[in-house]
Amino acid sequence: MTEADRAGDRIERTIEVQGIATHLFEAGPPTAPPLLYLHGTHLGNLWLDYHRLLAQQFHLFAPDIPGFGLSERPDWMHDMSDYVLYFRDLLAALGLERAALVGHSLGGWMAAEIAVWYPERVSRLVLSNAAGLRVKGVPMADIFALSPQRLLETCFENLMAAAPLIPREINTDYFVRLYAERTTLAALAWNPHYDPRLARRLQRLNCPTLIIWGARDRLIPAAYGEEWQRLIPGAQLVMLEGTGHMPMFEVCEQWVAHVSAFLQESQPQEVKPS
Amino acid sequence: MSRPRLTFHYFHLMPWPDLPPDFDEKYDSAWVTLPNSIYDPEKGHALYNRYFDELERADKLGWDSVCVNEHHQNAYGTMPSPNIMAAVLTQRIKRARIGIIGNALPLHDDPLRVAEEIAMLDVISGGRIISGFVRGTGMEYFSYNINPTLSRERMNEAHDLIIQAWTRPGPFSFEGEHYNYRYVNIWPRPLQKPHPPIWMPGTASLETIDFAAAHRYPYMTVFMPMEQRKRAYELYRRLAEEKYGYEAQPEQLAFCVPIAIAETDDLAMKEGERYMMWLFQKAMKVPTEFFMPPGYMSLRSIRAAIENRASFGFGNTTFKELVEQGVVIAGSPATVIEKLSYYTEVLHAGMLVTGGCTDGMPDYLVLKHQEMMAREVMPYFRQQELPPEPRPVEIQSGQR
Repeated sequence: MTEADRAGDRIERTIEVQGIATHLFEAGPPTAPPLLYLHGTHLGNLWLDYHRLLAQQFHLFAPDIPGFGLSERPDWMHDMSDYVLYFRDLLAALGLERAALVGHSLGGWMAAEIAVWYPERVSRLVLSNAAGLRVKGVPMADIFALSPQRLLETCFENLMAAAPLIPREINTDYFVRLYAERTTLAALAWNPHYDPRLARRLQRLNCPTLIIWGARDRLIPAAYGEEWQRLIPGAQLVMLEGTGHMPMFEVCEQWVAHVSAFLQESQPQEVKPS
Repeated sequence: MSRPRLTFHYFHLMPWPDLPPDFDEKYDSAWVTLPNSIYDPEKGHALYNRYFDELERADKLGWDSVCVNEHHQNAYGTMPSPNIMAAVLTQRIKRARIGIIGNALPLHDDPLRVAEEIAMLDVISGGRIISGFVRGTGMEYFSYNINPTLSRERMNEAHDLIIQAWTRPGPFSFEGEHYNYRYVNIWPRPLQKPHPPIWMPGTASLETIDFAAAHRYPYMTVFMPMEQRKRAYELYRRLAEEKYGYEAQPEQLAFCVPIAIAETDDLAMKEGERYMMWLFQKAMKVPTEFFMPPGYMSLRSIRAAIENRASFGFGNTTFKELVEQGVVIAGSPATVIEKLSYYTEVLHAGMLVTGGCTDGMPDYLVLKHQEMMAREVMPYFRQQELPPEPRPVEIQSGQR
């Protein structure tokens, strides 16, 4: 730990993982079940209502994924497997034997990969509007072809909910940071923009899994939610009406209620070695 | 042997000028997504052959080279395979060099194919090939679905592979991060020794200028304002002197600048405005996201690009402004000589790359431009000659 800052209900700090200074927020009762939240592209270094609400019931860890927010991405880190190994070490650095994983969009893809490779580390899995799969005939939007403005319009059904993402000042630094974050995403997901091997590997998942999706998602259409449910044994699917790619922004309480209820449903299943 | 103060290279984009009347309102890009139903192969047949005739005339009129390049899925330039164009030119162009400026190396998963094709062309043409290497525009990374974050690495590695394939006795192995071959052993080998000259056209990426300076390759500024060209040349010269320990020569600094030449300045301005604006306002219409895909530029270069408001197109810039900014040259032969003299005397740049009809300019006007350049401008720069050029030095890597 290099730095810690307690602001109200949360701790903000930076920890070294694989030599990467990882910025994270931590909040909630230390005795509550641990929850690792993995954000989507451009959604690092945020502390918003969905974080606060989750932290009321869980011991929440919300790191900035390397290459986003305040966590730098070293040059060698440009493959999903690099991230999986990194998160394995992050869990260890946080002292978490097992945790619930909640991942949104790109973070959902990463959460699913972690659960495939380290099932013993994942008690429960929640994937919200997750990337990582391909559904033939139902293309995802080409995020790289969208201007910042068009990207917001595609992600949000209600642009008012995007307010926390609008910078105070739109200047060169802002555009350079945006470009750097897009570069991280491109390194991982330009071509292919999904993991061709993931679909088959999802059969291995043995933790309770919730797929939660905004029915109007125009970036990763609802068909992807259905595909995740089909591929993960026993997965539940919740389709939220009236929202799209950003349900935790637009219907925050409803989204948190579903996620919390699922995570608290019962004790985590025993993991059987496969 | 001595060399002229300025060499003349006739460059064709081979554009598709026939865009629909509602292009401005209906389409946000002349690249990547512009529907290919707009292309008419029947007209394309006539157009390609008209363009070849034009290049053949440039040869007969005394241009030092005729040049083609590579672009994909767009109306700006319809030569997805420049090496095919060069193959045609080996049979049509009898005297001048044939410039391929250039092959977009990172777009191709097998750069050995480029090494082979250039070697073939060099042998067929009797050693007349100039081999440009480029990364391709940002748009091409969408069209070919090549990861732009790997563009620079693939460029450098493909370059090393090709140079080695041309110069090292085969078979040998090449062990790169992106390209890996057990057997590099190309047949034929190029005719020119040590290999065909390499040019590097660029849009002022700092890294490309450094790469060109390191290898003593001519760096060609493409369509850009004079201020930007100056910065690029200054950087090249400074890197050459301070980092690589030599003095950059005029034949290492090339400039691609469209020229409208006519009997008077007024007429040149009128003709230029009528026939050149298509290039800047339509053919170069591209959303920023296509032009600068993530990772295509370093953060240092992207910061410079944002601060300099860099874009591929020139938006609402008028023809007069393009002339004033030095993006294009327009004028009588005397004016054109004066403006080119600024390049040769002040910037010490010694290679002019220009020509090539764009917006369906009538052929008689194209011919007039070609003839005025050849008869009234070239002789001025060929009267005074300079000492011979130094030999290029190759830097090799990725070998064992």
